[in-house]
Amino acid sequence: MPVKWLLYWQPNAGISVNTQILTEISQCVESSINGVKGGRWKATLTFYRPITRDQSSQNDYPRDLMGVSLPEQPHKYYFILRTNRIVFEADTNIQSIMEKAQSYKARVALTFEGFQYQLGDFQLRVGKVALTSHAENLRGIAMEVEYLPLSSLEKSRQVMDDFVDILQEIVTSRSLPGHFTHIEPNFSEYGLSDQYSSQHTSLQYASVMTQLLTNQRN
Amino acid sequence: MECVVEGIIETQHVEALEILLHGLCGVPKERLKIHEFCLRSGPNLGVVTSELRVLCDLEQPKPTWTVRQVGGAMRGAGAEQLSVLVRSMIESKISKNGLRFFYILGYKLDHELLKVGFAFHFQKVVPITVTVTSVKRMLKLHATDEAVPVTPGIQLVEVTAPASADNYSEVAAAISSFSEYLAPLLHLSKPGVSAGVVPTAAAAAASLMSDGRGKTL
Repeated sequence: MPVKWLLYWQPNAGISVNTQILTEISQCVESSINGVKGGRWKATLTFYRPITRDQSSQNDYPRDLMGVSLPEQPHKYYFILRTNRIVFEADTNIQSIMEKAQSYKARVALTFEGFQYQLGDFQLRVGKVALTSHAENLRGIAMEVEYLPLSSLEKSRQVMDDFVDILQEIVTSRSLPGHFTHIEPNFSEYGLSDQYSSQHTSLQYASVMTQLLTNQRN
Repeated sequence: MECVVEGIIETQHVEALEILLHGLCGVPKERLKIHEFCLRSGPNLGVVTSELRVLCDLEQPKPTWTVRQVGGAMRGAGAEQLSVLVRSMIESKISKNGLRFFYILGYKLDHELLKVGFAFHFQKVVPITVTVTSVKRMLKLHATDEAVPVTPGIQLVEVTAPASADNYSEVAAAISSFSEYLAPLLHLSKPGVSAGVVPTAAAAAASLMSDGRGKTL
Protein backbone atom coordinates (compact mmCIF):
# COMPACT_ATOMS: atom_id res chain seq x y z
CA MET A 1 0.00 0.00 0.00
CA PRO A 2 1.12 3.60 -0.53
CA VAL A 3 3.60 5.01 1.91
CA LYS A 4 2.35 7.54 4.42
CA TRP A 5 3.81 9.95 6.95
CA LEU A 6 1.82 11.20 9.89
CA LEU A 7 2.82 14.72 10.94
CA TYR A 8 1.69 16.65 13.97
CA TRP A 9 1.59 20.36 14.63
CA GLN A 10 4.21 21.59 17.04
CA PRO A 11 3.13 25.05 18.27
CA ASN A 12 5.76 27.64 19.14
CA ALA A 13 6.67 27.93 22.82
CA GLY A 14 3.94 29.55 24.88
CA ILE A 15 1.31 29.17 22.19
CA SER A 16 -1.42 26.61 22.42
CA VAL A 17 -2.98 24.92 19.45
CA ASN A 18 -6.39 26.28 18.43
CA THR A 19 -9.03 25.94 15.73
CA GLN A 20 -7.87 29.13 14.02
CA ILE A 21 -4.54 27.50 13.22
CA LEU A 22 -6.34 24.40 11.92
CA THR A 23 -8.49 26.59 9.66
CA GLU A 24 -5.43 28.39 8.30
CA ILE A 25 -3.59 25.11 7.64
CA SER A 26 -6.61 23.83 5.73
CA GLN A 27 -6.68 27.08 3.73
CA CYS A 28 -2.97 26.66 2.95
CA VAL A 29 -3.62 23.20 1.53
CA GLU A 30 -6.58 24.41 -0.51
CA SER A 31 -5.33 27.74 -1.85
CA SER A 32 -1.51 27.66 -1.71
CA ILE A 33 -0.94 24.19 -3.12
CA ASN A 34 -4.35 23.69 -4.75
CA GLY A 35 -5.41 20.59 -2.85
CA VAL A 36 -8.76 19.33 -4.10
CA LYS A 37 -11.00 18.87 -1.13
CA GLY A 38 -12.50 15.39 -0.78
CA GLY A 39 -14.50 13.57 1.85
CA ARG A 40 -14.14 13.43 5.61
CA TRP A 41 -11.85 10.99 7.39
CA LYS A 42 -11.65 9.78 10.94
CA ALA A 43 -9.29 7.64 12.96
CA THR A 44 -9.54 6.80 16.65
CA LEU A 45 -7.01 5.93 19.28
CA THR A 46 -7.95 4.38 22.60
CA PHE A 47 -5.86 3.96 25.73
CA TYR A 48 -6.41 0.77 27.69
CA ARG A 49 -5.59 -0.02 31.30
CA PRO A 50 -5.35 -3.44 32.93
CA ILE A 51 -8.17 -4.32 35.28
CA THR A 52 -6.70 -5.93 38.36
CA ARG A 53 -8.37 -7.42 41.38
CA ASP A 54 -5.93 -5.74 43.66
CA GLN A 55 -4.34 -2.33 43.28
CA SER A 56 -0.79 -3.54 43.90
CA SER A 57 -0.93 -5.78 40.80
CA GLN A 58 -1.47 -2.81 38.42
CA ASN A 59 2.23 -2.58 37.67
CA ASP A 60 2.51 -6.27 36.81
CA TYR A 61 0.74 -5.64 33.51
CA PRO A 62 1.39 -3.24 30.63
CA ARG A 63 -0.11 0.21 31.09
CA ASP A 64 0.69 1.55 27.63
CA LEU A 65 -1.74 -0.51 25.54
CA MET A 66 -3.18 1.57 22.70
CA GLY A 67 -5.85 0.54 20.21
CA VAL A 68 -6.13 2.21 16.80
CA SER A 69 -8.86 2.14 14.17
CA LEU A 70 -8.02 3.55 10.75
CA PRO A 71 -10.23 4.66 7.86
CA GLU A 72 -7.94 2.84 5.41
CA GLN A 73 -8.81 -0.52 7.06
CA PRO A 74 -12.37 -0.23 8.38
CA HIS A 75 -12.57 -3.94 9.28
CA LYS A 76 -9.30 -4.07 11.18
CA TYR A 77 -8.16 -2.94 14.61
CA TYR A 78 -4.59 -2.47 15.79
CA PHE A 79 -3.05 -2.74 19.23
CA ILE A 80 0.31 -1.20 20.00
CA LEU A 81 2.55 -1.81 22.99
CA ARG A 82 5.44 0.60 22.59
CA THR A 83 7.41 -0.67 25.59
CA ASN A 84 7.36 -4.17 24.15
CA ARG A 85 7.74 -3.04 20.54
CA ILE A 86 4.73 -4.88 19.21
CA VAL A 87 2.00 -4.03 16.71
CA PHE A 88 -0.84 -6.54 16.70
CA GLU A 89 -3.46 -6.66 13.94
CA ALA A 90 -6.94 -8.14 14.34
CA ASP A 91 -10.49 -7.82 13.04
CA THR A 92 -12.60 -5.07 14.58
CA ASN A 93 -14.47 -7.54 16.79
CA ILE A 94 -11.30 -8.00 18.83
CA GLN A 95 -12.73 -5.03 20.74
CA SER A 96 -15.73 -7.15 21.76
CA ILE A 97 -13.37 -9.96 22.78
CA MET A 98 -11.45 -7.50 25.00
CA GLU A 99 -14.71 -6.29 26.51
CA LYS A 100 -15.90 -9.81 27.25
CA ALA A 101 -12.54 -10.87 28.67
CA GLN A 102 -12.72 -7.95 31.13
CA SER A 103 -8.97 -7.92 31.61
CA TYR A 104 -8.29 -4.53 29.98
CA LYS A 105 -10.56 -1.54 29.97
CA ALA A 106 -10.81 1.24 27.39
CA ARG A 107 -10.05 4.36 29.42
CA VAL A 108 -9.67 7.38 27.14
CA ALA A 109 -10.40 7.65 23.43
CA LEU A 110 -9.13 10.33 21.05
CA THR A 111 -10.46 11.08 17.61
CA PHE A 112 -8.44 12.35 14.65
CA GLU A 113 -10.83 13.80 12.09
CA GLY A 114 -11.01 16.25 9.24
CA PHE A 115 -11.00 16.44 5.47
CA GLN A 116 -8.86 14.81 2.84
CA TYR A 117 -7.29 16.54 -0.13
CA GLN A 118 -5.94 15.25 -3.43
CA LEU A 119 -2.87 16.85 -4.90
CA GLY A 120 -1.57 14.94 -7.90
CA ASP A 121 0.13 11.83 -6.53
CA PHE A 122 -0.26 13.02 -2.97
CA GLN A 123 -3.20 12.57 -0.69
CA LEU A 124 -3.40 14.72 2.42
CA ARG A 125 -5.63 14.32 5.43
CA VAL A 126 -5.75 17.30 7.73
CA GLY A 127 -7.57 17.00 11.00
CA LYS A 128 -7.99 17.89 14.60
CA VAL A 129 -7.15 15.66 17.50
CA ALA A 130 -9.69 15.74 20.32
CA LEU A 131 -11.03 13.60 23.10
CA THR A 132 -13.87 11.56 21.64
CA SER A 133 -16.05 12.58 24.57
CA HIS A 134 -15.19 16.33 24.20
CA ALA A 135 -14.93 16.83 20.46
CA GLU A 136 -14.84 20.63 20.77
CA ASN A 137 -11.74 20.55 22.94
CA LEU A 138 -8.80 20.61 20.50
CA ARG A 139 -5.76 18.64 21.69
CA GLY A 140 -3.68 18.80 18.55
CA ILE A 141 -3.53 18.95 14.77
CA ALA A 142 -2.38 16.07 12.60
CA MET A 143 -1.72 15.63 8.91
CA GLU A 144 -1.35 12.44 6.93
CA VAL A 145 0.79 12.77 3.81
CA GLU A 146 0.35 9.80 1.50
CA TYR A 147 2.34 9.31 -1.68
CA LEU A 148 0.31 7.04 -3.91
CA PRO A 149 2.94 5.70 -6.39
CA LEU A 150 5.34 4.16 -3.84
CA SER A 151 5.09 1.62 -1.04
CA SER A 152 8.75 1.47 -0.06
CA LEU A 153 9.68 3.71 2.85
CA GLU A 154 13.26 4.05 1.71
CA LYS A 155 12.51 4.77 -1.94
CA SER A 156 9.94 7.39 -1.03
CA ARG A 157 12.00 9.15 1.64
CA GLN A 158 13.40 11.85 -0.63
CA VAL A 159 10.10 12.77 -2.29
CA MET A 160 8.33 12.80 1.10
CA ASP A 161 11.04 14.97 2.63
CA ASP A 162 10.82 17.41 -0.28
CA PHE A 163 7.05 17.60 -0.06
CA VAL A 164 7.06 18.21 3.69
CA ASP A 165 9.68 20.96 3.16
CA ILE A 166 7.29 22.67 0.73
CA LEU A 167 4.49 22.39 3.28
CA GLN A 168 6.71 23.92 5.97
CA GLU A 169 7.64 26.82 3.70
CA ILE A 170 4.00 27.58 3.02
CA VAL A 171 3.18 27.45 6.71
CA THR A 172 6.14 29.72 7.49
CA SER A 173 5.11 32.20 4.76
CA ARG A 174 1.73 32.49 6.48
CA SER A 175 3.52 33.24 9.78
CA LEU A 176 1.65 30.48 11.56
CA PRO A 177 2.96 30.06 15.11
CA GLY A 178 4.48 26.60 14.81
CA HIS A 179 5.50 23.90 12.37
CA PHE A 180 4.75 20.32 11.39
CA THR A 181 6.91 17.60 12.89
CA HIS A 182 7.48 14.10 11.62
CA ILE A 183 8.91 11.44 13.88
CA GLU A 184 9.43 8.15 12.14
CA PRO A 185 9.11 5.27 14.57
CA ASN A 186 11.83 2.64 14.30
CA PHE A 187 9.63 0.29 12.28
CA SER A 188 12.19 -2.52 12.15
CA GLU A 189 12.21 -2.73 15.96
CA TYR A 190 8.56 -3.74 15.64
CA GLY A 191 9.34 -6.30 12.97
CA LEU A 192 7.82 -4.12 10.25
CA SER A 193 9.52 -4.12 6.86
CA ASP A 194 10.30 -1.41 4.34
CA GLN A 195 7.06 -2.25 2.51
CA TYR A 196 4.44 0.05 3.94
CA SER A 197 1.32 -1.41 5.61
CA SER A 198 -1.51 -0.27 7.85
CA GLN A 199 0.48 -1.62 10.78
CA HIS A 200 2.99 1.16 10.02
CA THR A 201 0.15 3.70 10.06
CA SER A 202 -1.18 2.46 13.39
CA LEU A 203 2.27 2.72 14.91
CA GLN A 204 2.64 6.28 13.64
CA TYR A 205 -0.66 7.21 15.30
CA ALA A 206 0.53 5.71 18.58
CA SER A 207 3.83 7.61 18.34
CA VAL A 208 2.18 10.92 17.49
CA MET A 209 -0.30 10.54 20.32
CA THR A 210 2.46 9.77 22.79
CA GLN A 211 4.33 12.86 21.58
CA LEU A 212 1.27 15.12 21.83
CA LEU A 213 0.67 13.98 25.40
CA THR A 214 4.32 14.50 26.31
CA ASN A 215 4.21 18.02 24.84
CA GLN A 216 1.08 18.86 26.80
CA ARG A 217 2.58 17.60 30.06
CA ASN A 218 5.60 19.81 29.46
CA MET B 1 -23.24 -16.30 19.50
CA GLU B 2 -23.32 -19.91 18.33
CA CYS B 3 -25.32 -23.10 18.72
CA VAL B 4 -23.30 -26.23 19.37
CA VAL B 5 -23.65 -29.96 19.98
CA GLU B 6 -20.92 -32.55 20.20
CA GLY B 7 -20.40 -36.26 20.40
CA ILE B 8 -17.77 -38.97 20.10
CA ILE B 9 -17.21 -41.75 17.62
CA GLU B 10 -14.79 -44.64 17.44
CA THR B 11 -12.04 -44.00 14.91
CA GLN B 12 -12.94 -47.21 13.05
CA HIS B 13 -16.33 -45.66 12.15
CA VAL B 14 -15.03 -42.26 11.06
CA GLU B 15 -14.80 -43.29 7.42
CA ALA B 16 -18.48 -44.26 7.46
CA LEU B 17 -19.34 -40.95 9.10
CA GLU B 18 -17.44 -39.15 6.37
CA ILE B 19 -19.45 -40.96 3.70
CA LEU B 20 -22.69 -40.06 5.47
CA LEU B 21 -21.68 -36.42 5.91
CA HIS B 22 -20.60 -36.16 2.31
CA GLY B 23 -23.97 -37.49 1.23
CA LEU B 24 -25.90 -35.17 3.54
CA CYS B 25 -23.90 -32.02 2.89
CA GLY B 26 -23.15 -32.44 -0.77
CA VAL B 27 -19.85 -30.61 -0.48
CA PRO B 28 -16.29 -31.92 -0.34
CA LYS B 29 -14.64 -32.17 3.06
CA GLU B 30 -11.87 -29.84 4.11
CA ARG B 31 -8.84 -31.18 5.90
CA LEU B 32 -8.30 -29.77 9.34
CA LYS B 33 -5.18 -29.35 11.41
CA ILE B 34 -5.55 -26.82 14.19
CA HIS B 35 -3.04 -26.05 16.90
CA GLU B 36 -5.08 -24.69 19.77
CA PHE B 37 -3.52 -22.68 22.61
CA CYS B 38 -5.76 -22.25 25.61
CA LEU B 39 -4.73 -19.11 27.51
CA ARG B 40 -5.82 -17.95 30.94
CA SER B 41 -5.44 -14.50 32.43
CA GLY B 42 -2.62 -14.19 34.96
CA PRO B 43 -3.10 -13.82 38.71
CA ASN B 44 -5.25 -10.83 39.65
CA LEU B 45 -5.72 -9.79 36.01
CA GLY B 46 -9.32 -9.12 35.07
CA VAL B 47 -12.56 -8.92 36.97
CA VAL B 48 -12.56 -12.72 36.95
CA THR B 49 -10.17 -15.20 35.35
CA SER B 50 -10.74 -15.15 31.61
CA GLU B 51 -9.92 -17.69 28.95
CA LEU B 52 -8.94 -17.11 25.33
CA ARG B 53 -8.25 -19.66 22.65
CA VAL B 54 -5.63 -18.84 20.06
CA LEU B 55 -5.94 -21.10 17.04
CA CYS B 56 -3.31 -21.69 14.40
CA ASP B 57 -4.60 -23.28 11.21
CA LEU B 58 -1.72 -25.47 10.07
CA GLU B 59 -3.58 -26.77 7.04
CA GLN B 60 -3.11 -23.48 5.17
CA PRO B 61 0.02 -23.05 3.02
CA LYS B 62 0.89 -20.16 5.34
CA PRO B 63 -0.54 -20.77 8.85
CA THR B 64 -3.37 -18.40 9.75
CA TRP B 65 -4.22 -17.27 13.28
CA THR B 66 -7.50 -16.65 15.07
CA VAL B 67 -8.45 -15.76 18.62
CA ARG B 68 -11.71 -17.07 20.03
CA GLN B 69 -13.56 -16.07 23.16
CA VAL B 70 -16.21 -18.54 24.25
CA GLY B 71 -18.60 -17.14 26.81
CA GLY B 72 -21.06 -18.73 29.14
CA ALA B 73 -24.04 -20.75 27.96
CA MET B 74 -27.45 -19.16 27.72
CA ARG B 75 -29.56 -19.93 30.79
CA GLY B 76 -33.21 -20.07 31.62
CA ALA B 77 -36.14 -22.34 31.01
CA GLY B 78 -36.08 -21.73 27.24
CA ALA B 79 -32.42 -22.69 26.98
CA GLU B 80 -32.97 -25.82 29.11
CA GLN B 81 -35.57 -27.10 26.67
CA LEU B 82 -33.25 -26.80 23.67
CA SER B 83 -31.25 -29.87 22.75
CA VAL B 84 -28.32 -27.68 21.69
CA LEU B 85 -26.14 -25.34 23.70
CA VAL B 86 -26.42 -21.65 22.88
CA ARG B 87 -23.39 -19.65 23.96
CA SER B 88 -21.63 -16.44 23.17
CA MET B 89 -18.66 -16.87 20.88
CA ILE B 90 -16.57 -14.15 19.26
CA GLU B 91 -13.77 -14.80 16.83
CA SER B 92 -11.24 -12.54 15.23
CA LYS B 93 -8.52 -13.18 12.70
CA ILE B 94 -5.21 -11.98 14.12
CA SER B 95 -1.64 -11.41 13.04
CA LYS B 96 0.91 -14.14 13.64
CA ASN B 97 2.37 -12.39 16.69
CA GLY B 98 -0.91 -12.96 18.58
CA LEU B 99 0.51 -15.39 21.11
CA ARG B 100 3.31 -13.01 22.01
CA PHE B 101 0.78 -10.18 22.29
CA PHE B 102 -1.46 -12.05 24.72
CA TYR B 103 1.52 -13.26 26.76
CA ILE B 104 2.64 -9.64 27.16
CA LEU B 105 -0.88 -8.66 28.21
CA GLY B 106 -0.55 -11.17 31.03
CA TYR B 107 -2.18 -14.30 29.66
CA LYS B 108 -0.50 -17.65 30.38
CA LEU B 109 -0.59 -20.88 28.43
CA ASP B 110 -2.89 -23.24 30.29
CA HIS B 111 -2.71 -26.11 27.82
CA GLU B 112 -2.38 -26.75 24.10
CA LEU B 113 -4.03 -29.25 21.79
CA LEU B 114 -3.70 -30.38 18.21
CA LYS B 115 -6.92 -31.20 16.43
CA VAL B 116 -6.48 -33.24 13.25
CA GLY B 117 -9.33 -34.36 11.04
CA PHE B 118 -11.77 -32.86 8.60
CA ALA B 119 -14.68 -30.44 8.37
CA PHE B 120 -17.78 -29.96 6.27
CA HIS B 121 -19.22 -26.48 5.79
CA PHE B 122 -22.69 -26.36 4.30
CA GLN B 123 -26.02 -24.58 4.30
CA LYS B 124 -29.10 -26.21 5.87
CA VAL B 125 -31.41 -23.28 6.69
CA VAL B 126 -28.34 -21.74 8.33
CA PRO B 127 -24.61 -22.22 7.68
CA ILE B 128 -23.55 -25.31 9.64
CA THR B 129 -20.06 -26.64 10.28
CA VAL B 130 -19.31 -30.22 11.25
CA THR B 131 -15.80 -31.09 12.43
CA VAL B 132 -14.49 -34.57 13.08
CA THR B 133 -11.15 -34.50 14.81
CA SER B 134 -8.68 -36.57 16.70
CA VAL B 135 -7.70 -34.45 19.71
CA LYS B 136 -4.04 -34.74 20.56
CA ARG B 137 -1.81 -33.40 23.27
CA MET B 138 1.82 -32.46 22.97
CA LEU B 139 4.44 -34.39 24.94
CA LYS B 140 6.80 -31.42 24.63
CA LEU B 141 5.85 -27.74 24.45
CA HIS B 142 4.58 -26.84 20.95
CA ALA B 143 5.89 -30.14 19.51
CA THR B 144 2.98 -30.81 17.15
CA ASP B 145 4.99 -33.50 15.34
CA GLU B 146 5.06 -35.61 18.49
CA ALA B 147 1.43 -35.19 19.48
CA VAL B 148 -0.42 -38.21 20.87
CA PRO B 149 -4.20 -38.73 21.04
CA VAL B 150 -5.84 -37.72 24.31
CA THR B 151 -8.34 -40.57 23.93
CA PRO B 152 -6.88 -43.17 21.53
CA GLY B 153 -9.44 -44.74 19.25
CA ILE B 154 -12.02 -42.02 19.84
CA GLN B 155 -12.67 -38.89 17.78
CA LEU B 156 -14.61 -35.75 18.60
CA VAL B 157 -17.50 -34.56 16.44
CA GLU B 158 -18.71 -30.98 16.81
CA VAL B 159 -21.63 -29.38 15.00
CA THR B 160 -21.79 -25.59 15.22
CA ALA B 161 -23.69 -22.77 13.57
CA PRO B 162 -23.58 -19.02 14.10
CA ALA B 163 -26.68 -17.63 15.77
CA SER B 164 -28.07 -14.38 17.11
CA ALA B 165 -30.53 -13.45 19.82
CA ASP B 166 -33.20 -13.25 17.12
CA ASN B 167 -32.70 -16.58 15.39
CA TYR B 168 -31.11 -19.00 17.86
CA SER B 169 -34.23 -21.18 18.19
CA GLU B 170 -34.39 -21.56 14.42
CA VAL B 171 -30.67 -22.43 14.32
CA ALA B 172 -31.08 -24.88 17.22
CA ALA B 173 -33.92 -26.60 15.34
CA ALA B 174 -31.78 -26.85 12.19
CA ILE B 175 -28.93 -28.45 14.15
CA SER B 176 -31.28 -30.82 15.97
CA SER B 177 -32.88 -32.04 12.79
CA PHE B 178 -29.47 -32.45 11.16
CA SER B 179 -28.23 -34.38 14.21
CA GLU B 180 -31.01 -36.92 13.76
CA TYR B 181 -29.51 -38.01 10.44
CA LEU B 182 -26.30 -38.87 12.28
CA ALA B 183 -28.04 -40.64 15.15
CA PRO B 184 -27.31 -44.21 13.97
CA LEU B 185 -23.60 -43.45 14.12
CA LEU B 186 -23.28 -41.07 17.03
CA HIS B 187 -25.23 -39.26 19.65
CA LEU B 188 -24.87 -35.49 19.64
CA SER B 189 -25.64 -33.55 22.80
CA LYS B 190 -24.77 -30.34 24.60
CA PRO B 191 -21.03 -30.12 25.38
CA GLY B 192 -20.28 -31.61 28.78
CA VAL B 193 -23.26 -33.99 28.67
CA SER B 194 -21.67 -36.74 26.61
CA ALA B 195 -23.77 -39.83 26.02
CA GLY B 196 -20.80 -41.94 24.85
CA VAL B 197 -20.71 -44.04 21.71
CA VAL B 198 -23.95 -45.46 20.34
CA PRO B 199 -24.52 -49.26 20.20
CA THR B 200 -25.85 -49.12 16.63
CA ALA B 201 -22.65 -47.51 15.28
CA ALA B 202 -20.99 -50.70 14.05
CA ALA B 203 -24.05 -51.90 12.11
CA ALA B 204 -24.77 -48.42 10.71
CA ALA B 205 -21.14 -48.02 9.69
CA ALA B 206 -21.09 -51.41 7.98
CA SER B 207 -24.22 -50.52 6.07
CA LEU B 208 -22.85 -47.14 5.01
CA MET B 209 -19.53 -48.62 3.97
CA SER B 210 -21.21 -51.19 1.74
CA ASP B 211 -23.49 -48.51 0.25
CA GLY B 212 -20.53 -46.21 -0.15
CA ARG B 213 -18.54 -48.88 -1.96
CA GLY B 214 -21.55 -49.59 -4.19
CA LYS B 215 -21.70 -45.92 -5.20
CA THR B 216 -18.01 -45.75 -5.91
CA LEU B 217 -18.29 -48.76 -8.20
